[in-house]
Amino acid sequence: MAQIDEDDIILVQRGPSPTVAGGFYRSFVETARGLKTTLFKVFGETQTIQYPEEKTPVYPRFRGRHKLHTFEDTGLEKCVGCSLCAAACPADCIRVVAAENDPNNRVSAGERYAAVYEINMSRCIFCGYCEVACPFDAITMGHDYELSDLNRSDLIFTKEMLLAEPIERTPLRTEDE
Amino acid sequence: MPRPEHNEITLTIDGRDVTAIDGQILVDAARGGDIEIPVFCYEPKIGGPVGACRMCLVEIEGIPKLQTACSTPVKDGMVVHTQTDRVKGAQQSVVEFLLVNHPLDCPVCDKGGECPLQDISYGYGGGKSRFIEPKRHFVKPLGLSPLIAIDRERCILCYRCVRFSQEVSEDHQLVLLERGASTFVATFDGHPYVAPFSGNIIELCPVGALTSRAYRFRARPWDIEGSGSVCNLCPAQCNVTFTVRDDRVLRVLSRDHDGVDDGWLCDKGRFAYQATHSDERITAPLVRDGDQLRPATWERAIQVASGIARHPGAAAAIVGGETTNEEGLLLGRYMRDTLASHDIDSRQGGALSAGVLRELARTDLQATVPDLEFAHTVLLLDADPVDDAPVLDLRIRKAARRNDTQVLVASGRPTALDARAAVAVRHAPGSAASLVLALDSALSGDHGAATNHATDAGSDLESINALADALKTGGEDVVIVWGERVTDGAGGEAAAKALVNISTTLGLGTREGSGLLELPRGTNGRGLREVGAIPTAGPGLSNPVTVGRSTDQIAAAAAAGEVTALWFLHADPTRDGRNTEIWTRAMASAGLVIAHASTLSPELAEHATVVFPAEAGAERDGTITHPDGRIQRLRKAIGSPVDVRPAAAIIARIAEVGSGVDLGPATGPAATEAVSAAVSFYAGLTVDEIGGRGLRWQDRDAATNLPAGDLNGESDAPVPAASPNGALRLGTYRSIWASPEVELSPALKFLSRRPTVELSPVDAERIGVIQGQNVDIGTGTDALRATAHLRSDVPAGSVFVESGLAAPGNLPSEGQLIEVSKA
Repeated sequence: MAQIDEDDIILVQRGPSPTVAGGFYRSFVETARGLKTTLFKVFGETQTIQYPEEKTPVYPRFRGRHKLHTFEDTGLEKCVGCSLCAAACPADCIRVVAAENDPNNRVSAGERYAAVYEINMSRCIFCGYCEVACPFDAITMGHDYELSDLNRSDLIFTKEMLLAEPIERTPLRTEDE
Repeated sequence: MPRPEHNEITLTIDGRDVTAIDGQILVDAARGGDIEIPVFCYEPKIGGPVGACRMCLVEIEGIPKLQTACSTPVKDGMVVHTQTDRVKGAQQSVVEFLLVNHPLDCPVCDKGGECPLQDISYGYGGGKSRFIEPKRHFVKPLGLSPLIAIDRERCILCYRCVRFSQEVSEDHQLVLLERGASTFVATFDGHPYVAPFSGNIIELCPVGALTSRAYRFRARPWDIEGSGSVCNLCPAQCNVTFTVRDDRVLRVLSRDHDGVDDGWLCDKGRFAYQATHSDERITAPLVRDGDQLRPATWERAIQVASGIARHPGAAAAIVGGETTNEEGLLLGRYMRDTLASHDIDSRQGGALSAGVLRELARTDLQATVPDLEFAHTVLLLDADPVDDAPVLDLRIRKAARRNDTQVLVASGRPTALDARAAVAVRHAPGSAASLVLALDSALSGDHGAATNHATDAGSDLESINALADALKTGGEDVVIVWGERVTDGAGGEAAAKALVNISTTLGLGTREGSGLLELPRGTNGRGLREVGAIPTAGPGLSNPVTVGRSTDQIAAAAAAGEVTALWFLHADPTRDGRNTEIWTRAMASAGLVIAHASTLSPELAEHATVVFPAEAGAERDGTITHPDGRIQRLRKAIGSPVDVRPAAAIIARIAEVGSGVDLGPATGPAATEAVSAAVSFYAGLTVDEIGGRGLRWQDRDAATNLPAGDLNGESDAPVPAASPNGALRLGTYRSIWASPEVELSPALKFLSRRPTVELSPVDAERIGVIQGQNVDIGTGTDALRATAHLRSDVPAGSVFVESGLAAPGNLPSEGQLIEVSKA
């Protein structure tokens, strides 16, 4: 066994061993003091949000699930299928196939419209570049963040899904449950 | 006109010394020195500059005002500035001015993302506009033709499309109407702009004013990939880029190649890609089951087709023009070496002996496509480039317009270049061989023989002498463009020899830039001949062990039961309009008919035993040979449908299953190497050496391996032209639109041909028909009904019937007499 240098040894100063009263104090009084905040909160207002029955409000600029928009007056789609969102998308999750408008049965206001508009939500990183790229404000980031599903292919949102108001997908507990 | 000499000079642009050619346009010279001068209207392919857009203003020392670089030739010692404040101010003003009436359509515009106006506005514009007044408005979008949409609001009046129509394709249809800000592009009479080359204006337009209706809103530039290949729809073999999105071809663009196409495409090449994705295309192997063809598994189809091994010595193959060199070589090998059959042909009009073919292939006699442009004289022998190899028509027009090339025409049917021709001689349909013999005699001064041959050709000595004189006095550089049909029939061999004689008399072999250029019927006519897919020569135009039967002889032999198995590799002889009736009988009596096809003609559907789905042009891999000897690569742009396999792989598999032989590599670079190993004058050629631009085998050292020719063989004299005597001489022609691809492409369908017969007004009056009426060609139940088309330049006594149609009539061969009567 190697010799230990005297200088390397540090002596630890131990406190005096507790007395009976001191031991009682440490076991009960200090514990109660530590639990004081918790115990008082038991009688205060409940802070827990009962997700999914309750939801946290999000900030106005929260970037959630995308929405496609229509003109309020004419009902025509704002999207003309220009594909600029797909070009801007860093995750490559947008697919647009454009088609020509039939003048008798217009879909959008321009010459072309998006015949296929799909966003793959399992790939989307919610960066909002599509919203920035859109020349017609046709796509915006919504507030919906509940996007889980049991099937990956169900996460490809079609144009109809993106145009529709977000549906409440989380079941709410009934009162007597 | 010989090629211009190039004197190098040095000028200074932005303080940099740039070497350029004296007289070159400043924009081009600057580009050569890696300095960009923005342009809209300048396009050297179209012709001289017009200076319409003013985008290229630069400052030249010694000239007080700014100059347009697109119309200023460079001079030695010139000092040019393109980056001064004055120039930048001018550029910003021009962009602002061009955008005054340009709508903010970019999100809906098909050009968006690949638009020179976008790029130049971004690079050279000021970024804002002071224009607040309403913009000019037109109705939009309008169809300029069924193929092209025009949006006049977007037009910046660069004149490119109008100049193309006036100066390149010379159809003179597009014009600018009105004046000033109201100017717009239109056809003069308001009719749709329908012309063989109209699609080129889509590619020329620097803004989104002219867009393709077939490509309309299909994709944006960031959705697509370009895939370079070669168009295999005609022997011109233009270099193209396929635009691919999601494994589908959406568009075809030109891939500029001065040695092949000069940067133009015909509308068939540009729009017939749609046939690739047609629902009517065969995409699975079909096997006969009773009286119907039913889809079958590959194993079963191969099993049935490999029954050809049970027909040794009695099998024959017809090889279509689209076949690649690799496929042609492989099939030739299997037929000759394993099946002991020498009956393989890729030509329709009868065979030429190997010696004559080698003589015609002589490297010194071979003219190239650029030679057309700089020749003193171009002689067309029974060839109409606009139908046979469309893009060459533009090349010859360019030569005549820019270089004053003398164009001479000798043909049966009036050609599109007649108006450009100094001398145009008509011969009786099918008598081109006699005409060539007459010309040969006239050039060598034998007027007696010339008179006889001229009479045989249905022409006269005077015309032949005019042609000969023009050839002799026009200048040394002569390019003779001859159609494959010159060597058709009995007198074909004699005509080929006469062609070589003419070349010798005119000294074509001794001069660079002159020679012969054949326009074969099939895309790869030349390559198939050189890999031995003809009865008279093996690979490399070598003398064959045994001479086999030619196409017509195969038909007769099969109809007589001597040939019992027929193999149609990308060919359908019933569609070619020759001997339809014999072919139908031949197919009916053959025990096994193997076909590779994308669509079925009624005869194939009735008689084929096995049909293998053929790969479309954009799905093929392999090499093809241009009529001037340039070997080019077809490259796979998209995947084939699941059940479509390369024809070469099918041939190899049939050989393996049927005869237990291994034919060697069938696909990929190894197959190309097998071709270069088999063809002596392709020796050592690899796909890497061919590359994206192709190369002419005549320019390689291995060209000396071409065996010497032989003109001493016996040859028959051509049949003299029949005297009309009330009946009419039958000629046939195949329009560029007469092809299955055109019928299958929705965009081109409006151009697909109906049976038409071209009559001279004299004969029409005699028969009592007027333009557009129906006539019966022939008599009895075999009569073919067609629409009469009166052409004043059709010689009286001749009648021209369209061939290559889906429902061909049963016609006698070219040059024979036929009754035409009012229906």
